Amino acid sequence: MEALPFLFEGLWITIKIALISMVTSLILGLLVALVRISKYKFLSTLVSFYIDLFRGTPLLVQIIIIFYALPDLGIRLDRYPAGIVALTLNNGAYVAEIFRAGIESIAKGQTEAGRSLGLSYLQTMRKVILPQAFKRSLPPLTNSLIALLKDTSLVSVIGVQELLKQGRQLQTWLANSTPLLGVALMYFIIIYPLIKLVQQLERRLKKGMT
Amino acid sequence: MIKVENLHKHFGKLEVLKGLSLEFNKGEVAVVLGPSGSGKSTFLRCLNLLEIPDEGNIYIEGDNILGKKHNVNKLRQNIGMVFQQFNLFPHMSVTENITMAPLMLKKINQAEAIKKAMKLLDRVGLTDKAEAYPDQLSGGQQQRVAIARALAMDPKIMMFDEPTSALDPEMIREVLDVMKDLAREHMTMIVVTHEMGFAKEVADKVVFMDAGCVIEQGSPAEIFNTASHDRTKLFLSKIL
Repeated sequence: MEALPFLFEGLWITIKIALISMVTSLILGLLVALVRISKYKFLSTLVSFYIDLFRGTPLLVQIIIIFYALPDLGIRLDRYPAGIVALTLNNGAYVAEIFRAGIESIAKGQTEAGRSLGLSYLQTMRKVILPQAFKRSLPPLTNSLIALLKDTSLVSVIGVQELLKQGRQLQTWLANSTPLLGVALMYFIIIYPLIKLVQQLERRLKKGMT
Repeated sequence: MIKVENLHKHFGKLEVLKGLSLEFNKGEVAVVLGPSGSGKSTFLRCLNLLEIPDEGNIYIEGDNILGKKHNVNKLRQNIGMVFQQFNLFPHMSVTENITMAPLMLKKINQAEAIKKAMKLLDRVGLTDKAEAYPDQLSGGQQQRVAIARALAMDPKIMMFDEPTSALDPEMIREVLDVMKDLAREHMTMIVVTHEMGFAKEVADKVVFMDAGCVIEQGSPAEIFNTASHDRTKLFLSKIL
């Protein structure tokens, strides 16, 4: 029982890392998606490569490379920033694809209506396309937040004192595996409401579409 | 007011417009007729550069809109467009649909924009729907809102791309009535439609297109009664 505050400390760090990474990867993902669908062929190919690269390699490998290998190139990051950068780059790639699918699912007539009124491409994006695309992307975005919350456990390998790391330390100190069950329970308690939220969002979207 | 010279447009290997030349005068209501696939819509979409022609010239009030320095967004502010599928913005209320573009592009404040939107809604007979969302409206109501939305930018020209083709028969009239009102106020209009009644009643000029070419043009009486070209006669015999 006296171990609980110790776990809560880890949980707090897990939530902080997940929220910061979610915000940064939303921004990154949106920018990448916009470049990906833009008419600039070279930039579009470049960001496609980024997306494929980060979706095509394990996140664990990305975390380890960013923390242990980048210093060889002169880029030295502390554990926390390194973890957040890795999670952002990884989740950003997924978010970019979610946004791209969302944007492309909006009927072409919407863009044409905006442009025919005299709005520029970016104005049409901002006022007409993105609000609709964002709404449709909410369920998959929430799913990616769930994945991100779970993936934060991987940054324990570079020594970030998040929930799993704290649990394993307790396990060693107490020579008892109960803290690990506490860890799993805590993940579940924060993730379960999100799962329910996705289901609700999907239901509402379905209703709105018919 | 609008002068089109030798307009060509390809989609891949398909040649959709084969050297169109046409003129439209200020205050004139022109109806463009023709079988589907004849290039009517593409022609209309070239006029506000939703499609970029491959060849030819388009002058609007003397300006060559295909010139390099021409501002496309400014051009489109002067040309209202109404689509077959309405294309209202589903995430905005009727009023927001109408005020969005003026608020972004004209120097007016919210109160003025809303006042103007209400005036336009009055004109299309939908003041009671100001706060509704597009999915709460019938097709005919949506199309009337779309017309109000286009008019909110005070365009000099209004283009209609088969505005009643997606409507149930009982709703066609309410849309045509709004268009007839506009014609009476001497709006310059170019209308692609299959509504022959509308063409006969309000058109100053009827243009018949087939296979990417203008086959003939003239007053409604000339086209409907004394068409000289066989293809025009054949088309009219099928549709009248």
